[in-house]
This record gives sequence, structure tokens and C-alpha cells, in this order.
Amino acid sequence: MKSILKLIKRFIVTMLFSLVLLLFLNFFLLLLISYKQAANHGAWSSADTVASALTENGDGTYRLSAQGEDILSRTNAWAILVDNETGYILWNSSNLPEGIPTQYSAASIAMAVRGYINDYPITTSGYGDDLIMLGFPKKSYWKLISNTFDYDFIRNFPKTVLLFLSCNLILIFFVYMVVTSGVLRSVKPVIQGIEALPAERDVYVKEKGLLSDLAVSINKAAEKLRNQDYQLQKKETARANCIAGVSHDIRTPLSMVLGYASQIEENRDLPERERKKARIIRQQSLRMKNLVNDLNLASKLEYNVQPLHMDTVNLVSLVRQTAVDFLNLDLEGKYPIEWVAGEDMQNCCAKADKGLLKRAVSNLITNSQVHNPDGCTLFMSVGRTEKMCRIVVEDNGTGVTDEELEKIRKAPHYMVCDRETGNQRHGLGLMLVRQIAEVHGGDMEVSHGKAGGFRVVIRVPGTE
Amino acid sequence: MANDHLKRKRILLVDDEPELLDMVVSILQEEGYLQIKTAKNTAEALAACREWNPEFGIFDVMLPDGDGFSLFQKVREFSDFPILFLTARGEDEDKFTGLGLGADDYMVKPFLPRELILRVHVILKRSYRNESNLVYLKACALDFDRAEIIRNGEHIALTAKEFELLQVLSRNAGRIVTIDMLCEAVWGDNPFGYENSLMAHIRRIREKIEENPSRPESLLTVKGLGYKLLMEDVR
Repeated sequence: MKSILKLIKRFIVTMLFSLVLLLFLNFFLLLLISYKQAANHGAWSSADTVASALTENGDGTYRLSAQGEDILSRTNAWAILVDNETGYILWNSSNLPEGIPTQYSAASIAMAVRGYINDYPITTSGYGDDLIMLGFPKKSYWKLISNTFDYDFIRNFPKTVLLFLSCNLILIFFVYMVVTSGVLRSVKPVIQGIEALPAERDVYVKEKGLLSDLAVSINKAAEKLRNQDYQLQKKETARANCIAGVSHDIRTPLSMVLGYASQIEENRDLPERERKKARIIRQQSLRMKNLVNDLNLASKLEYNVQPLHMDTVNLVSLVRQTAVDFLNLDLEGKYPIEWVAGEDMQNCCAKADKGLLKRAVSNLITNSQVHNPDGCTLFMSVGRTEKMCRIVVEDNGTGVTDEELEKIRKAPHYMVCDRETGNQRHGLGLMLVRQIAEVHGGDMEVSHGKAGGFRVVIRVPGTE
Repeated sequence: MANDHLKRKRILLVDDEPELLDMVVSILQEEGYLQIKTAKNTAEALAACREWNPEFGIFDVMLPDGDGFSLFQKVREFSDFPILFLTARGEDEDKFTGLGLGADDYMVKPFLPRELILRVHVILKRSYRNESNLVYLKACALDFDRAEIIRNGEHIALTAKEFELLQVLSRNAGRIVTIDMLCEAVWGDNPFGYENSLMAHIRRIREKIEENPSRPESLLTVKGLGYKLLMEDVR
């Protein structure tokens, strides 16, 4: 909605600016026109000029100079000189039209000065005590007959103009608001739709009103996105299902490889050399089993098709149980587990998926066993520092080099990495541990163990 | 051997893969189990259940004419011999379904033969205890019916908590039971902070069952993790 406010603001600023501009333009035009109008004062000044161009010859006759004649002919006007005492015409121009009175009373002079003689607009000038009257062609001028104004009106004129202007402004603003709010009402759902598109897919804008075309486009775009999401989800689910299917189908054949290899390995009638080969087959099948399990879970986590059953889990109990499950199967005692009890072992509870977390710890134990075929001692502990609970699995086996450690830390997710996949044969189990830790909002850290082996710490947020 | 009666139990294997059936049969036979029958689908399995009256079942889940879960339910209508699911379906959901139905165990393929044997053995022992309900330890015998220990002809009574602990331990004889599981068995769902009490109880049990309580031979400590009860009839 921020953009709509911005839009309104810009509209208002633009409107005010155009109003000011309009005002200035009008004022300028007015000036221009009234300047031209000012030239019309010529009607009165023509009378003055004619008056000054008229001379008495001394014998009761008058003569108009060439300049006066020139003005009269240019303006198409006629002129008369009215005697102050008798009211008779003393002199008149040669083009005096018919029907112009030859004598004037004070009243008729007053009327003529205010207005017209026989519809000829009149201007006057004094000639001594006598009066010069110029008659211009009909409809060349319009005269204001009652030319007095209320003084207050003139005095209040600026105020009146201001009142007018503000009334106009308010009206314009009102009209503008009505129109704009109408537009906004139709724009609003469109803008909301566009704003919602990146976050959610269930966008629908009603396809009616001023911007129905836009609404249609937005709905189409939303549908396209929905469709793409669906296709992507379908593809990812298909991929996860494919991996799940393969890992399911491989279990039965692998069972047989594992089973018979174990039987051959334990058959004391066979020579030691053959039994050793069978042991290798069993060990490698076990690796395959773990790999298949890991791959399946990892793909499910990656494509978000693994449901999480979050529950409050006592980590001490979970890690102990996992360790004991391994010990109960390790009849040869090749991989003893030492429980390292700490003082911060109390209250190691976390919101977690029990199965997944158990899987992570199992993977770490399996990892140590796979990399130390001749046996090693595992050291396990659980502890808590402030908000995080940690599970530590460490061994005193062969360990890893610094380079390998760095590689494990920096290894990209094998589901994402499409190059160097050939080099990622190791560490699938560890990657899964990291993935599980991250699903729980925690992390995994690998380092050298105190006893020279490999050390992994899983950290997950603990509950209060 | 004290376990001979277990080796004579009738075991029914249900799986649609003949090769896998052959293998499991050979694993069980090698271990000394004598009476084993196989079925390739639910129809055969149901017929065998009615006619042969098996005493233990190992069921696959995916079968050509139905699934192991409904087979389990059908079998339960007329019989309650222990059943273990052995399947390629490794999802948690499947496990919960199987165990939720009341199966005695759930194993995911591929499996180690030794693990299968161990689990079968534990279930059989739990289900078909000696009729007298006597368990023999190095220095004494446990009588679960009377909740007492018979040592050199002397009868020593067990307290309720000692009895519960020994029951859990003997049910998992030869296997480590975690401290948490033991606490939970005795003190219920919220067993935190009972570790010291547990140690005291274990000490008292040892005084009753061991020749030399400071050098236990039957009830062993696995430091930090749990305890393990060794029975005389366990290899």
C-alpha cells in the first residue's frame, strides 16, 4: 500500500503545480489582452486631438488641420462642435450622417457623453467653453452607460478574488478526489495483487472495473506461477519417489548378499582366506545399505517430503539408547563406547524428531566403524551451553587429515552439486547428519578428536 | 541346553521372494531351529496358520495378494503367537503401523543375520519362558512368580522396584538396557534425576544375587550407559 500513498502524493503535487501554472498563464493572457485594450483609449484621445486640430478662422468659421482630418478618416468618425451658450452646432465634419440633431440641451449632452447619439458611440473633448463630440461608426465601441462602482466592492476586490480562487480550488480538489478515489478503488486490488505475487500464489483479482485487463493479466501470471510451482513440486516429488523406490527395491537383493556373506563368513569349515573375502562382501554390503538409507532420507529432506515429528526429546536418553543399540550388536567388542558424563548433562531436552536425531547419531557411530575396520573406542557425551544442546561423538581411530577435514566442512550438498559428483563418494552419511542438524535449526562441526581420531559435534537448540 | 525348547518352536516365514525365504530358512536352521515352514502369500500363510498352528511368525509386508499388516490382523483373530515384521519398507510411518498393530518387532531389510537371530531369540524367550518361570543366574535363581531369589536353598524376597528392574533386565538378558529405560520402567514417564536411586537399587539387587557384590558377575555395569544381566542359559 505504500506505493498507492506515494501515487496519491504525486498526483496531488502534480495537480497543485498545474493549478499554479494555470493561474500564471491566465494572468499573463489577461495582461496581454488588456494591454491591447488599452489602445482603445484612442477614442477619447482622438477627440482631444481633433479639438486641438480645430482652429477658428475669426469669421465664425472653423478649419480642421490635416492631422485632424487624418484621424477622422482613419477612424471613420464624424465630429461636431457644440456652442456652450446656444447648444447649436458651430462646426461639423463633412461626413456628418443624416439625422444627427443640430441643437443640444444640457440633458441631451449629458446623455450623449454617457452613451450614444443615434447609436453612434460618442467621445468628447473641450474646445474652450464649447464641446467637441466625435461620433464613431455604430458597433465600433460599446459604452458603459452607468459607469459607477460601489467603492467597497473595489476595495474588497482582492479579497473577493481570493475567495473566488479558493472556492474554485476546493471545487477542483473535490472533483479530483472523487475521480481519483474511483480510479484508486479499481487500482487498489490490482496493486495488492501484484504486491502479493512474489510471496503467495493464491492471488486472484476481480476482473471488472476500469483495470479489468490488468486484473486478467495478473490472474494469468498467478496461475502460471502456480502451475510452475506445481510442476516443480511434482518433479521434486517424482525424484524423491524415484530414489525411495530404488532404495526400497534394492533392500531385498541386498538382504541376500548380506545374509549369505555373513553365513559364509561364520562357516568355520571354510578356509580363513575365503571367510575373509566373505567378510569384505558383508562389510561392503553394509556400506551399501547405509548409503541407500542415507540417500533416501537425504533426498526426502532436500525435497521437503520428509514429515517431521517434532517432540520434546531427552537427548541423554536418546544418545544412550543409540549407543546401547550398537553395543548390543557388537558381539566381538571391537567398538566399545565410553560414555563421557559431564556436569551439564541435566536438562538436555530439545524439540526434535526423535527418529531423525537417532539416525544422525547412528550415522556418526557407523561412520567411525566404517573408517576404522580394525576397531576403535568411541567417546560419546551430551551437554548444554545456554541455548544449545550438543551431542559429541568422538573416536580414537585413524582420524582424518587437515585437508580432508576442510573438504568435509566445505563440501556442498550432493543434491545441489552437479559437478565433481564423482569425488563425493565419501561423507554422504556425514552430510546427512549436517542436514538433520540444520532441519532442527542447529549445526554440525567436525574436528580432530582429543585422542587423535575424528570428532563430530551436533548442536541443536534446547528447550527451556 | 536350557534353550532347547525354544529351538523346537514352529516358525512360519512369509515372503514373496523364494530366494530370501531359502536364505532365512538356512540362517534359522544353522542356528538350530528345527521346525520351519514357508509361505509365499497371505493365502498360503493363513492356511498354514490354521493347519500347522505356528508358534512364531516372520512376516514380510508387501505380498502379492495383500499386505502383511492385514495378514497380521487376520491371524490375530484366532491366534496370538509372536510375530516379527521383516520388510523392505523402512519408513517411520510403516514401523509405527507395524508396531502399533501389536507386532513384537519390526526389522528393515537389508538385515544382518545375527541381528535377526538375536531378535528372534529375545522374542521367543520372552514369549515362551520356562513354565516354572525360573531364571538361572551364576550364583542364584530368580523366581518371577513369587518375586524372590533362591540362593543356596535360601529364599530372599525382592522389593517391588527390585522385581520390576530384574524383569526389564531379564527380558533383555544379554543386552544392555539404558539407565533411562530402567528409570522409566520403575518411575514412569518422567524419569529424570532418579539415576542415584537406580544405583542404590542396583547395589541392593547385587547384594541379593551376586556372590561378591563388589565384583558382579551377573548384573554388569556399562559405565554411563546402562546395565546388562547375564543369564546362565545365554551363550
